[in-house]
Parts: sequence; structure tokens; C-alpha cells
Amino acid sequence: MTEGSHGIDRLRGKATLREILEVATGFEASARDFYKDLTPKVSKRIRYLVEELAAEEQGHLDLLTALAQRTDIAEQVQQEIQRTASDSKFSDCLHVPDLGEQPDDQAVLQYAMGREHAAMGHYGELADTTPEGPIRDLFKFLASEETKHKLDLEKIYYEVVHRGGGV
Amino acid sequence: MSYTPDRSQYPAKKADGTLDIDLTSGKYLKLWHGPNHPGITGNMSVELTVCGDEVVDAKTHVGYLHRGFEKLMERRSFIQVFPIVCRVCVPEPDFNEYCYAAAVEELAGIKVPPLADWIRTLILEMGRVNSYMMYLGGQAGAFGLGVIGQWTTYVRDLMLDRFEELTGARIYHMFIMPGGVRDRLPEGFEQRMEETLREIESTLKDVYDVMFCNAVFKKRSVGVGYIDPALMDAYGVTGPNARAGGVAKDVRRDQPYLVYNELDFEPVVGKDSDIYTRADVRRRDVTMSVDLIRQILAKMPKDGPVMAVTPNVLHWKIPRGETYIRGECSRGEYGYYLVTDGSGFPRRINVRGPSYTHAVALLERMIVNLNISDVAGLMVSLHTYPPEIER
Amino acid sequence: MSVRDVLSPFTAWKNLFRDPVSIADPLKRQAAPRYRGFHQNDMEKCIGCGTCETICQNGAIDMLPVEGIPTKQGDSGLRPRIDYGRCCWCALCVDVCMTQSLTMSNAYTWVESDPDKFRFTPGVDKKHWDDAELGYVRPEGHRLTGELRVHMPEMEPDVRIGSFAEIVDGYSVEQAVLEADRCVSCGLCVATCPTHMAIPQYIAAIRDGNYDLGLKLLYDSNPFSGICGRVCTHKCETTCAARHEGDPIAIRWLKRHIMDQVTFDQITRVVGQPAASTGKKVAIIGAGPGGLTAAFDLAKQGHSVTVYEALAAPGGMTRWGIPEYRLPYDVIDRDVDVIRSLGVDIRCNTRVGKDVSLEDLRNNNDAVLLGLGLQLGRATRIPGSDHPDVRKAVDLLRQATANEDFGTPRQAVVIGGGNVAMDIARTLARLQKTAYGEVRVTLTALEDINHFLADPEEIKEAGEEGVIILDARGPQQVVVEDGKVTGLKTWRVKAIFDEQGRFAPSYDEADEQFHQGSMIVEAIGQMTDASLLGDELTERLTWNRGRIQIDAGGRTSESWLWAVGDMVHGPDVVTAVADGHRVAASMHANLVLKEQSK
Repeated sequence: MTEGSHGIDRLRGKATLREILEVATGFEASARDFYKDLTPKVSKRIRYLVEELAAEEQGHLDLLTALAQRTDIAEQVQQEIQRTASDSKFSDCLHVPDLGEQPDDQAVLQYAMGREHAAMGHYGELADTTPEGPIRDLFKFLASEETKHKLDLEKIYYEVVHRGGGV
Repeated sequence: MSYTPDRSQYPAKKADGTLDIDLTSGKYLKLWHGPNHPGITGNMSVELTVCGDEVVDAKTHVGYLHRGFEKLMERRSFIQVFPIVCRVCVPEPDFNEYCYAAAVEELAGIKVPPLADWIRTLILEMGRVNSYMMYLGGQAGAFGLGVIGQWTTYVRDLMLDRFEELTGARIYHMFIMPGGVRDRLPEGFEQRMEETLREIESTLKDVYDVMFCNAVFKKRSVGVGYIDPALMDAYGVTGPNARAGGVAKDVRRDQPYLVYNELDFEPVVGKDSDIYTRADVRRRDVTMSVDLIRQILAKMPKDGPVMAVTPNVLHWKIPRGETYIRGECSRGEYGYYLVTDGSGFPRRINVRGPSYTHAVALLERMIVNLNISDVAGLMVSLHTYPPEIER
Repeated sequence: MSVRDVLSPFTAWKNLFRDPVSIADPLKRQAAPRYRGFHQNDMEKCIGCGTCETICQNGAIDMLPVEGIPTKQGDSGLRPRIDYGRCCWCALCVDVCMTQSLTMSNAYTWVESDPDKFRFTPGVDKKHWDDAELGYVRPEGHRLTGELRVHMPEMEPDVRIGSFAEIVDGYSVEQAVLEADRCVSCGLCVATCPTHMAIPQYIAAIRDGNYDLGLKLLYDSNPFSGICGRVCTHKCETTCAARHEGDPIAIRWLKRHIMDQVTFDQITRVVGQPAASTGKKVAIIGAGPGGLTAAFDLAKQGHSVTVYEALAAPGGMTRWGIPEYRLPYDVIDRDVDVIRSLGVDIRCNTRVGKDVSLEDLRNNNDAVLLGLGLQLGRATRIPGSDHPDVRKAVDLLRQATANEDFGTPRQAVVIGGGNVAMDIARTLARLQKTAYGEVRVTLTALEDINHFLADPEEIKEAGEEGVIILDARGPQQVVVEDGKVTGLKTWRVKAIFDEQGRFAPSYDEADEQFHQGSMIVEAIGQMTDASLLGDELTERLTWNRGRIQIDAGGRTSESWLWAVGDMVHGPDVVTAVADGHRVAASMHANLVLKEQSK
């Protein structure tokens, strides 16, 4: 997983908001790409799941990209922020697991839930340590998005795996 | 006693036994008494042939009030018949409810809870009081004593208040259902009933003073409308009409139903068999009913169910059978003949209203040789309710 | 005649000194508390069952749709409109009202210049007496319809645990008639039943003792009435009007009663013979209720139907999933034999994809129907769950049906709170009782006891049979020591179901429990084994969130292929039956169309 080690390196060296934003963008992009790459590998029966996950990540990526292009936040983006231990969770998640050649829906869901769980925590801590402003709002928003998404995935997981009527 | 000439041979009979009446002679006149006559008697009609002011021939006509109840009932389920029956007799509807319910219960094999029997008896006696109150007003009114009707209507209204609080309605109570009665006595009912009974007793005393100790009323009623006790059985005369002639018929005592076995009473009997005696028997019957109501309220159980478990009424089928249920209403023997054929509908219901015998055949015979002005008084004295003639 | 008779009447003059007894303003007079005045209807309670309309002897009540009150499960959406030109205020409507929504106020004055106004819908058309507190309500204990269900006799727990004999006795004729008598024929159940069985009508047939008619009504909509009469999820009973103030009608048991009363010959006589042959051939994969219902319909229409079943006997999950004590095999056999009597060829032990290829079926038939069911059990994939003594409930139940020895454990832990979990727990309990003389089964479920997916009677009966049921426990780890399973570790579940009935389990790690057992049985979700489709067809088909996409008639994106039952609609026998009818209709229409376009 070359992407993953790159991520860790990049995070280690960067400490400005813009840099963090870049890494976060990269994280979302790599997740999206991961799901996109996975799409043809899974059976068509469960492809919807992977496609939805890719679309979700794309949505986050779009948000981050739009934010980075805004000029009015340039000053804030230059500010240093306090580094927290939780940053590493990004890189943890960049270690995408090998789901095998034909992962089933349960494996994909388990992976996705793990990723959302970590992302949720990390965005939350980033928001706590970022000065007020659009970036903090963005982190807060992303944290809540990931939380909602994780809850949704857990519900889907319960319904698919535990509740019987699945495929 | 007043003088009554013997007019039994008038008018003369022809050789074949029919009356020798030639309407073209100018001596006789046809007169229709009803159906637009004011008062309860006006729902039927009596075709009179008069000579001067004396009735020489009479023919009773019914059909002005026919509502086809018996036929309607054959097209309704057993529970749906229940709201209809009370309408057969407006002034004393509860007998219909009781007789119908009892007939259904007998054929369906339903045992009514004891408390329901007591409440049913109470209701029937309350209804009897009201029926008599209406009668007393009508009887007095027929002879020009208008004030009596105002007094009896007043106490009847008090009793209707009791009916309203017990049954939820004033006239058509729809309270005695197949299986029991709808509900128990409301809180404080006994006390309010006692107040009503005292008001009735005080009014009855006034009625006695003003109506029964009244020269005018006596002049019109004593010796008039005599029923020969020998005719009683032949004409199916029952109730006060029979008892006023010394025939002590009373279904309540002769064939006790509901809880009459447990009540202490003796049928009221008279001996002169005329309008006055019949009125007097009814007046004393009210007193007895008042006493019976007091007995019922004192003796009835205080608790328990009032409704038996019936099958689902929406598709209640009753096995093949037939029965006749009778009871003593204010006018005599009231009865329901019910035939079932195993379906969800009664095959036949026949209502025996006592007015049928009293006001059709008997009346025709009794009117002859009476003065025209006494015809209404006579009809009232037979306690005629045309609605129960026409079912 | 005396002097007194002349003087006494003058006492009437004393009334000159009395106050009048009449009421000065009668319109303001308050009626008695139980007075039967104008109607009120509580819209919160009314379910539009129409019993008031049925009982009204005047025909004064009409059930009509009302704007803003939608039709939904258990509520027709209709409300009674009363015509006061016909009403006689007998209050039978109030007495019979199944929800006690209908009452009467003690108001009795109402003035209108427009006579049509006196035809109104209580509770919808606002009236001045709507909030009146006094008036007639049905007296306590006054019931015109039966309140309580006729008790269904069944085996005592200590007897039934000793064998797989059927637990429920079924109603006798007398009991069935009594239970059937309680039905008010409102038909809310018909709308709820997936296959819309003529429930009030067949219940009426029981009342009348007309079993031929009852049987015909059953077979009109459900060729699996024997099976459904025992194991149907009976959603009908959850919308039964009678449940509002007592027990719902035992609709399922009454259906069973009809099937219990009739002979096989009687059934085949009522079902009759198939129509003249159409020359069309249909292959059905899977002999479960969905596939066989379609087979029944298609065979009756004259098509030649062959059913391919991988297992040794037909019935699908009803045979291989549901234990015998709930559904004896001869009941399944009889239902299936009726279908066979129409000429349906059921080929057992024939697995499509192995013994015969799907491509061959496609080439040799005019249409193919997939009724694969949900045969595969889901796994929890918790640590240790890959041990061979961690089994799946569906597999064990299948083995139990086949009478295979899977090694009855002395102590077992079942994971799951649905009917399958109860089935395997109770099956294991019986096997343990026979083998070791004692029952040692622990059942853990994620859901709290109020949200168990299993039927309440299943939970109750499992408990009676000695199964220990633990709710809100999340499986965490299968503990393996020295290569042997010793038990299951669980955490308490904190999360609750949200308003949409969805649930994301989250665990309280502090509350850990260990449940001993040498075998762990996973009885959680199930899925379809769709491998027989092959990669190429799987790619070609359109899918919808994990299931084959079908149109309203069950047709897939491939014009020759239909799908039916659990694999497209989730697990439920009667839903599969309903689906079977729908799919058969679609297939028939297409086969006829094909013929015409030739």
C-alpha cells in the first residue's frame, strides 16, 4: 500500500492548515479511488454498495477542494495549528486493507465502518483544535458527516447481516 | 245507579239475522268516528250507524297506522329487531322489548343474569305507571275533565326523567336487549325514584278527589260500557278490562315471569265491569305498581352482571323453534310469538297486543245502543292503543 | 252519588296557589348523563372497520373516505357518516364499535335550515357537542361480539420437549365454530394479507360448517393453506378489529382447521383439473412456496411445468428450515401433492448449475423462474468464529430435517433473536433432551426482548422448554481453548431502535459476559446462493441493492427469466405465495403473448 506510507510521511512534515487540508483531500481521494478500484472486482450483486461508498467520498473531496480554492481563507490556512495525536488516525486509515479478489458485502461494510469510525474521530479533534473560521466549520461538518455515515453503515450492516432479509 | 233502558232489541233484525237498517229512510245516518279524532283512539276508525244520538250499528276499521313492523322484523337480524319492537306500542314500549328479548333468549338458550331480571321488572312497572297516567288523562278528558290530563302528564314526565337517567331515552328506551339489560341503575337512582313515587301518590290523591269523586264523571261512567263477565273468555278480554268485571286474571300472578314470584302483591279486582270501575281498577293498579317499584328497589341484588354472554350478534343464528312469551301490561296480556328457522333472521314474529281483542271485535258489540258522545269514553275505557293493533 | 261528589272536584282550585311545574327554558335543560344524544367519533381510535354500518338496522350509516385520513394497515381510512333522517338512536353502533371510538353525547338540540346538514360524519364535521363529556358510552362489560380467543389446546412443555411431535392440537369443530363466531367480517385482514385471502368468507364457511366452500376460498388465493395454517406470520391478526378490545381472531388456526377437516380427495376435487395444454414449457428452480405457487397457477392454466429442486424433497425452507414440531412433514407433503396432482413435475436432488445447466433450461423452456430462497446463513465474523464448531443455524436445521447427526452438543450458544434462532434453539433442546436428558441452550440476541424478530409465542415456548434467552447481548468473541470451543463472550448492547425502526448496535464493553458452550450457532441473517447464475449472467442482469431487479410481475432484466419469493422479497412464506401468484400471472401473460405474436 504505497499510498498509505506516502500519507504518513506527508502528514509528519506538514503543519499548516493548508497542508492539513491537502492531506485530508488526499485521504478522501485515496478512499474514493480505493472504492473505485474495488468496484469491478466485487460481484455485480453488491456493486451498489461500493459505488455508494465511492460517491460519498467524492462528495467530501468536492467539499475540501472547493474550500481550498477560496481566497478569503488564505490567511487562516497559513496559521499553525496545534498538532494532536489523533492526526495519526488519518494515516491509520490510509492503510487500506487487502479485501481479497472478490470481497463480499459484509467485508466491504466492515472496512467502510472502520474507516468512517476513524475519520469521524479525527475530524472531530481537528475541529476542536482549529481556530474559528470556515475551516473549523468544515472539519465540524466533515466530522458530523462521517458520524452520520458511520451510523448509516452500521444500520445497513445490522439489516444486511443480522436481520435476515439480505442477499 | 243510573237508568239504562233495555235497547237490546233495537233496531229490529231481519229474518236472516242482519239488522233491519234502511239508510235511505232518513232515519239512520252513517258517522265516522276517527281516524281524525283527537286522542289516542283516533288512530283507528269506527264506522257508526246512528239513529238520533244513539248508535245502532258499528264497524271498526284499522289500517291507518300500519307500519309493517312484523314484516320488517323478518328482514332484520335478531339484534337489529331489538330497536324496532318498542315502536309497536308508543305509550308502553318496554313490554315489546321484554317479550321479544325473552322469546329470543328462550329459543337461543340464554340465561339472563338475575340482576337484569330485576331491572327488567322495574322498567315494566315504571312503564305501567306511565301508561296508566296517560290513560287517566285520556279517560277524564273524554268526559270533559281536561285538568286531570295536565296533572297526570306532569307525573308521567317525572317518570320519564327516571327512564331517561336509567335507560338513556325518554320514550323509546331500547334498554332491554336479548341477553339482559344495557346497564345498571345510575348512582342515587333509588332516592330520586322515591321522590317521584311520592309525587305520583300525591297526584293520585288529587285525581281521586277531582275525577273519581266527581258527580259529572260518575254520571258519564257509572253503568256505561258494561262488559258481561260471560263474554270475557269468548272475546279474549284480559287485564283491567277483565278484572273490573271480577275476573281476577293477571299474568303476573297466574304465570309469574321475571321476578314477580318474589314480589308481594294481589291483583286489583272490581265488580261492576263499567267504565267507572275500569278506571278505578287502573287507579288502584298504579298504587300497586308504586308499591311494587318500592319492593323491587328494596329487594333487588346490588351487584352482578346485567348482560349474559351472547353469540356475536352480527351473525347470530337461532336454532329452529317457536315460542310464545306473555306478560301483563297495563292493558292486559301482551305477547310475542316468535318462530325461528335456524337462520340469522326471525321467520315470523307475531305481536299480540291486547287492544286487538278489546278494540276490534269487543268494541263493535259494545258500542251498539250507546250515545254518540260516549263512544270515545268507551274506547278509552277499554284502554285502546291502535299502534299495537297494527304491527 | 253524594254531596262529596259535588264538592270534591272543587279541591282542584288549590292548584291556584302552586308554582308551575313546567320548565321555563326547556332548550337549556341538561339531559341525563347516559342520554343517547348526538354521535361523537374519536378519530384517534376509529379504524374504519364498518361494524357500525353493518349493525345499523336503519341503514343510517355509510362508511366513506375522508380527506386527510389515509388508508393504512389496520385502518380502512373510511369513517362512518350518519344520516339523522334515518337514525333511531338505538346506539347499537356504539355498543358494537370495536375500538369504542363511537360514543353519543347527551346533546339533543340542533337547529339547521338545510336538511342535508343532518347527514354528517361525527368527529370530522365539527359540532358543538364534540367535546361534551356526558352522554352514552358503551357500559362496562357490555359486549355484542366475543372478546376472548378460544384457547388452543397444545402439548405441555415437559411432554413436547421429549420429541419432535407437533405441539399445537388444532381446534375441534365446536371450538372452531366458537372462534369463527367472534369475527365481525370487517375485512381489514384481507387488505393486510399479502395474498389477500378471503378471510371473513372462509371464517363464515366454518361457522356454517361448509368446508367445501372454505377449502375453495383457501385455494383461490393460497395453495399452501396447510402450511400457512400452521406457520404463517399471520400479519392479518395484527390488524384484526377484534384485537382492539380483546384477542384478535385466531385466523391462522381457523385456516388450519379447514385444512385439518378435509381429505386429500376433497382438496383435489375442489382444485379441479388443469386447463387444456398450451404447449408452453416452464422451468422453475427451487421447490419452495414461491416457486410451487407459481407452478400451481401455471399448471392450472395449461402450461407444462417442471420444478428443479437441489435437495431431496420439495418444500424449501418450510421443510428444511422449520422444525417438525411446528410443521409436520406430512402437511407439507399434502400441500405439495395437490400441486403435483395438476401434473407439475418436481425433480428433486437436481441442482441447477451442477446436474443441469441454467443455459439448458433456458434453451428447452419458454420461460424460467428463479425461486432460490435464502439458503445461506450469514456469519458474525467475530474472532474465533472460523472454528468448525461454530455452525450456521440454516445448515443445522437442514441436517436435522435430513436426520443427519451433526454431533449434538451438551451445551450450546445460539446467536440471534429471530424465528430461525428459536427454531434451532428448540431443535437443539429436543436433541439434547433425547441424548443427554437435559436442556442446556443459551440464546443471545442483539435486540432487546421487545424488539425480537421472533414471534412472541416462539420466545415464550422456547423459554418454557428450558432455553435461556438473553437479550441485548452483542457477540464479541468465540473463546477457543486447546483447539476446542468453550463458549461465547458478549457485550451488552446500548443502542436502541430509532423512529424508523432502524438500529445501529453499539456495545458497552464494561458489561462483558461469558456463555459456556461447546458449539456456537450463528442464527443471524440469511442470503441467496446465486452462484448458479454464473458470472456472465450476473453481469448481464440488473440488480437493485443486492437483489435481482424485477418488475411488478417478477420479471428480471432478461426477458426469459423471472424471480420469485424470499430471494427478491425477504423471508416470509405467505409473501412468497402472494409473489408466486403475481409472477405466474406475468409469465402466463407473456407466454400467451408469445403464442399470439407467432
